[in-house]
Amino acid sequence: MTLIHILIFTLLVSALVLTASQRWRRWSLFIISLVSVYWLQPAVSLRQFSFWFPTASIGLTVIAWLVTRHRERGLSREDLTALLFTALLPLLLSLSRFLPEGWQLTASRPPSIYLVVIVGSILVILGFVGEWLAKWSRLMSVLLGVVVIGVFIVLKIETLSVWTSSLLRGVTGQSRNLAASTDLYWLGFSYIALRLLHVLRDYQSGRLPAVSFLDFLTFVLFFPAITAGPIDRVEKFSSKMQNAVAPTASEYLTGARRIVLGVFQKFVLADGLAIIALNSTNVAMTRSVPWLWVLVFAFSLRLYFDFSGYTDVAVGIGQISGIQLPENFDRPYFKTNIGTFWNSWHMTLANWFRAYVFNPLTRALRKGRLKMNSALIILIGQLVTMTLIGLWHGVTWNFVLWGLWHAVGLFIHNRWAVFLNARRDRIPSAFYTSKAMRAVSLVLTFNFVALGWVWFALPSVQMSWETLIRMFGGIR
Amino acid sequence: MQDQIAVFISTELLKDPTRKIAFDEPLISSGLVDSFSLVDLALFIEETFDVRIDDTELTAEVFDTIEELAALISARSTS
Repeated sequence: MTLIHILIFTLLVSALVLTASQRWRRWSLFIISLVSVYWLQPAVSLRQFSFWFPTASIGLTVIAWLVTRHRERGLSREDLTALLFTALLPLLLSLSRFLPEGWQLTASRPPSIYLVVIVGSILVILGFVGEWLAKWSRLMSVLLGVVVIGVFIVLKIETLSVWTSSLLRGVTGQSRNLAASTDLYWLGFSYIALRLLHVLRDYQSGRLPAVSFLDFLTFVLFFPAITAGPIDRVEKFSSKMQNAVAPTASEYLTGARRIVLGVFQKFVLADGLAIIALNSTNVAMTRSVPWLWVLVFAFSLRLYFDFSGYTDVAVGIGQISGIQLPENFDRPYFKTNIGTFWNSWHMTLANWFRAYVFNPLTRALRKGRLKMNSALIILIGQLVTMTLIGLWHGVTWNFVLWGLWHAVGLFIHNRWAVFLNARRDRIPSAFYTSKAMRAVSLVLTFNFVALGWVWFALPSVQMSWETLIRMFGGIR
Repeated sequence: MQDQIAVFISTELLKDPTRKIAFDEPLISSGLVDSFSLVDLALFIEETFDVRIDDTELTAEVFDTIEELAALISARSTS
């Protein structure tokens, strides 16, 4: 979201406070969300893909709803109306290609209406085939999960992105030699993927409640949260939609304050710190060891202000529109161990991975035939979960190493806690709770996290490794 | 029920039988019970009270204290 996006969203939802009844509020949030998927998507070099990526986001979400819906409830009038709107929106947008340049909602001129109709018809036929095969909806949910993960992998592995872009350039009639991974900049897909996987998984385990089409689409594509979260849970979001009432004056003010605070953090503090934050250029120009530490600390703060500021804006816009989004940060750099750090940094992402990776894996290992000791189970659980969290940010060795860094940190902290606990008779409890001990723990935790960002911020393993060596006085 | 859970947490999870846990003391948000021990707690609840706590429910939002956990178990075992 740019400042313009934030301003217009704020004005739009502020207008809702004055006009909309609860019913219209839901409809408005749904319509704004769908339209925003197109509006927020930046321009990409692949011709007309600033139209096709948003259309695909919406298409995947519609398919996920059709597969996972509670069939015994049938289709309500509202479901049908919302479905019709969703189908007409791309057609309407494709007509905007006849408007003068710059009048389109999409970042570039949308494709011709004939093409949209052909693709739309294929989707509708697929939809009917899907309905006809309803008894295999469980299998379809698995296949859809595979598709979502497959697209995710293509977008995140550079070689695959370039290869796919080259293939698509063949279709659009553009030069294949210019294929680049940036061609596949699909707005919000990382977050859309996690929301869809959560829904599909809950459907497979029989936990997914009945959710209306309108609430489902708004959950996956909710405009403040589509770019960078937070990641809510569908049952919570849909109940908030059902009870969405206009905020009171004080709630509105709290939300508005939150937006201003977020904008300040993101566009003033984070963007200001970016000048001296760790990156490949800054690290190559820095000779002195203390300055390297300054770069790393500046990066740590920049990342926090950027992301937490963004979350403030998203939660703030949610608040003034009557939807309370979950929190993502809780003073993460003031925690006294790495475990509580991960309870307070990108919380909705960590909770997602706990629910769908760490907990099921630990449960399976705990109940499995192979009797493993608990330390080994903890180690396996942390390694798998944190590596996947790393890979979610990008499929590179740097993100894997960043994940492993935290997995090892979490494991060491766990063993240390067990070690101290076994000796609690010999060490007075006042020792742990003393201010000095807390201060030492806080500094250690922050520095551990900050050093971890060296893997996260730089583009190659060699560069990160050399930077870490140099930070501790080693010679390059 | 609350006593049973408190004893399990102090003896099995914290390995400190002398540790008294108040029924309204935050378990998850405070970091007292880590994510690994939470899975053990869920398995214990399952075996002892025959109530399933799902992997997606092991968060401070669903229950953070022994009181809240006991309420969840009661609600599930009557339904």
